[in-house]
Amino acid sequence: MQQQSGIFDHFRETWPLLILIIGIAVIVAVIEAVGDRIISQTLTEALIRLIVVVGLYIFIGNSGILSFGHIAFMMIGAYATAWQTMEPMSKDIFIPGLPTFLLENSFHWLPSTIIAGLLSALAALITGIALMRLSGIAASIATFAMFMSLYSFYLQWSTWTAGQSSLVGIQVTTTPWVALGVAVASMVGAFIYSRSRFGLALRSSREDEVAAKAAGVNVTMQRLIAFTISAFFVGMAGGLYGHFLGLLTVDTFYLGTTFITLSMLVVGGMQSLAGAVIGVTVMSFLIEFLRKSESGFTFGDVTVGLPANSSEVGLGVVMLLILIFRPSGLTRGLEIHWPFRPKLKATEVTQRQS
Amino acid sequence: MAYGFQVLIDALSLGSFYALAALGIGLLFGVLRLINFAHGDFITIGAYALIVPSAATQATLLIGGFHPLFLIPSIVGIVIVVALISEFAVFRPLRNASPATLMIGSFALGYIMQNLVIMIFGGRPKAVGLWSDLNLGVQIIEGVQVPQLQLIIISVTLALMVLLVVFLKRTKYGVHMRAAAEDFRMARMLGVQANRVIMLAVAISGMLASAVSLLFVVQTGILDFRMGVPLMLFAFIATVIGGMGSLVGAVVGGFTVGAVSILLQTFLPSELRVFRDVFVFAFVILVLVLRPQGLVVSRSAKERV
Amino acid sequence: MLLEVDNLHAHYGRLTALRGVSLTVAEGEIASIVGPNGAGKSTTLLSISSVLTPTTGTITFAGKTINGLSPEAVAALGVSQVPEGRHIFATLSVEENLLVGAAIRKDTAAITKDRERVFELFPILAERRKQSAGKLSGGEQQMLAIGRALMTNPRFMTIDEPSLGLAPRIVDRVYDVLLELRASRGLTLLIVEQSSERALRSADKIYVLRNGEIQLSGAASDLRDGEAVHAAYFGFSEGQEGKVDF
Repeated sequence: MQQQSGIFDHFRETWPLLILIIGIAVIVAVIEAVGDRIISQTLTEALIRLIVVVGLYIFIGNSGILSFGHIAFMMIGAYATAWQTMEPMSKDIFIPGLPTFLLENSFHWLPSTIIAGLLSALAALITGIALMRLSGIAASIATFAMFMSLYSFYLQWSTWTAGQSSLVGIQVTTTPWVALGVAVASMVGAFIYSRSRFGLALRSSREDEVAAKAAGVNVTMQRLIAFTISAFFVGMAGGLYGHFLGLLTVDTFYLGTTFITLSMLVVGGMQSLAGAVIGVTVMSFLIEFLRKSESGFTFGDVTVGLPANSSEVGLGVVMLLILIFRPSGLTRGLEIHWPFRPKLKATEVTQRQS
Repeated sequence: MAYGFQVLIDALSLGSFYALAALGIGLLFGVLRLINFAHGDFITIGAYALIVPSAATQATLLIGGFHPLFLIPSIVGIVIVVALISEFAVFRPLRNASPATLMIGSFALGYIMQNLVIMIFGGRPKAVGLWSDLNLGVQIIEGVQVPQLQLIIISVTLALMVLLVVFLKRTKYGVHMRAAAEDFRMARMLGVQANRVIMLAVAISGMLASAVSLLFVVQTGILDFRMGVPLMLFAFIATVIGGMGSLVGAVVGGFTVGAVSILLQTFLPSELRVFRDVFVFAFVILVLVLRPQGLVVSRSAKERV
Repeated sequence: MLLEVDNLHAHYGRLTALRGVSLTVAEGEIASIVGPNGAGKSTTLLSISSVLTPTTGTITFAGKTINGLSPEAVAALGVSQVPEGRHIFATLSVEENLLVGAAIRKDTAAITKDRERVFELFPILAERRKQSAGKLSGGEQQMLAIGRALMTNPRFMTIDEPSLGLAPRIVDRVYDVLLELRASRGLTLLIVEQSSERALRSADKIYVLRNGEIQLSGAASDLRDGEAVHAAYFGFSEGQEGKVDF
C-alpha cells in the first residue's frame, strides 16, 4: 500500500540540507548586519572556502579516496574566469598570450564563472580517466602528482598566467552574498548528488570496493563522475576567489590552501555534507582567533601576541588532535536529521500493515 | 661521448637523491603502511639544522661550521630525533587508524614542521655555503669534467644501499623488520617487539633523510622551507612506480624518475624546458595507468582478488 | 592448570563470536577444540595469544592473567601459536623464518641447537633451508610454521587447523611430531580441528564448540565411542538424531 508523501515528508527528507543552508544564511546575515568591512571580507573568504570544501566532500566523502589535487581545479577555474572577465587593456599588459577572442573581449563574471567551472570539470574528466582507475594510496599520490604538475605548468606559463608574478586588474565582484549564493548552490548540488543512485553506488565502493564491483558497480566510472562534479564547484570557487582578491597568484593555489581545505573537511567529518559545513565554520572561527592572537592584544604600550605563523601551526595541531581522538570528525560523518519522529495516526498504521 | 657521459652522471646523481628519499619513504611504508608526507620536511629540518636560527638571508653556519666528523653525526642525529618525535607524537597514536587517516596525519605533521621552520628562520630562502669546493670539477676521462660532488652523491647512495641490504639480510633486527613488513601480526605472535621494530625503521628513515639534507644543501646552496616538498613528491612517485612495498622498487623508481628528468632536461627544446617537471609527472601518470601495480612487483602485494 | 580460559566473550563489531567460553588445559596435556566453521575456534586461539581483545572474561597462563598483554608479551611468557593458514613469511628464507621464531631468545648457541633440532624433526626443511619460504608446498609450510613456533621454546602451543589443505599422510606425520613433542619435552598443546575423528584419536581432552559456546567437553577416552561429540558438533539434541536443530 503506497503511502502518500506529504509536504512534510519532503521537508523532513531535505532537512539535513535545509538546516545547513539556514544556518549559514543566518550567520552571514548577522555578520553583515553587525560587522565592518574587514569582517565582511573574512566572511567572503570563508564562504569561498566552503564551496571548495563542499566540492571536496562530493568526491572524497563519497569515494573514500583522498584527493590532494583539487586546488589545481580551483586554480584552473580562477584563471579561466579572469581570462574572460578582465579588461582587454589589462590582458594585453599582463597576459598577452591569450587567444585573440579573449584578448579583445571582456565578459560578465557570472557566466564566466560557470564556464570556468565547466573547464575545471573538463580538466577533471580528462585527468580522471587516467587517475580514477587507481585505488587507495596510489590514487591519492597520483592526485598529488597531478596537482604539482598543473601548479608547475601554470607557474611557468607566464604568457597566460603572469607566471611567478601576480595577475592584477581583476574586477572585485564577489560580495558575501554572491559567495553565499554559489555556496548554497554547491550544497544543493552535493545533496542531490549524494542522494542520487550515483552517490549511493560510489559510497558502496567506499565501504568495500570488491563487493561493489561484484554487485555490478562500475567503480571507475562513479569515481570519475564525482571527481568531475566536485571539480565544477571547486573551479567556480576559484573564479569567485580571483574576483574577491582582485588579483591572482599561482602561488596561492599551493600546499597552504590544500592543507587548510582538507583539514576543514577532516575536522568536520569527511563523510557528510554537514561535516564539510561545520568543519569550515569551526575552523574559520579558529583561524580568525589565532590570527588575532598573532597580531596581539595591546595593553597600554605593550602588545602581547603569539609568534608569527602560530595560526598555521595551531591549525596543524588541531587537525592532528582530531585525527587521533575523533578521526571521523566532529559530525562523525553523520548528517543533521530532523529530530522528531513523525506521529503515526491510527489509520495510517493499519493501512501500512495491510 | 663525453657529453653522453655527463648526462649519465647527471642522471645517476639526480636518481641517487630520489632513490635515497624513496628508500626512506618505502621503508616506513613497508613496516607501518604509512605514507609519510613529512619525509621531505625531515630533509628540510636536517638542512636548516646547519645554520644559526635567524631570519637573515645570508645564513651563518652553526653546526655547518664544524668539522665533518662532528657535523655529519650531528645532523644525522638531529633528524633521527625529529623522526622519533614524529613517531611518538603522531604515528604511534595513529597506529590503528585507516590508511587515509595516516596519510592526512603525516600531511598535517609536514605542514606543522614547515611552519615551525618559518617561525624560527623566516619564510625567505637563504643562501648557505657548505663545502662548496666539492662542486668543483674533477677529471675522470678525456675531456670530461664532473663535479666531485656528483660522484660523492652516487657513491654515498650506493654505500648506504649496501649497508641497508646488509642490515636487512644479515642482522637479527633486519630480518625481524622484513618479517614485520610482510606480516606484522604474525611477527608479534612470535615475540617480535612491534614498537622497537617501528622505532628502528623510523630511525633509519631519518638517517636516510639526513643524507639527502646534507648532499642537497652542498649541491644547491639554498635553504627554503619548501625545499623538501618536490623531493618528497618525486620520492613518492618513485615508490609508486617502482611498486609499493618493495625497497628494490623504490630504488628502481628513484633512478627511473631521475633518468627521465635528466633526459627531458637534455632533449626537450629550450622553450619547453621550463615545463620539464610537467612532463615528468605526465610520464608518471602514464606508468601508473599502464601498470598500476608498479614496475617491480613485490611478492607481498596486498589484496589478491 | 597451565591455561585457564574463563567466561570469554568476544565480538567483531556487532557480531558475537564467543559467548562465555571456558576451558582449561593441564600441563603436559593435549586438548582439542572441534567444531564447525564459524564456531569461534580461531577467535578463541587469537584471544589466547592476545591478538584479539575479548569483551569480557579472563585468560590465565601459569597463574598469570594474560588478556590485555601485547601479543609479544604473551609469546615471551611461553605461549606460541601456529595460526590458521600458517602465515609463514614468504619473502624470507626457511632459515630466516626460524630465526624470527627465536625473536624472544637471546642465547645464540641454544638457538642454533634448537634450529638444528627442527631440521632433524623435519628433514625436508633442512634440504630447503636457504630457499624462500614462499616456494614450499602446503605440507612443508605447515612443518615450517610448527618448527618456527617451536623456536620460541614454548611451554604451550596452540595450533589452528593443522590438517587444513594437507594430504592425510602429511597430517599423520604432523601429528606424530606433535605427540613426540609432548612426550619428549612435555609440551602442552591446544589443537583446533574441524575433523573430530583425528582430534579424538590424538587428544586427551575434547571441547566441542558451536555458535560461540562450548556444547560438550570431556576426556577423549570417554567420548571416543559415543555419539555425543557428533551430536554436539551438528547441534542435535539428545535422542533427536535426524532432526536438525538450528
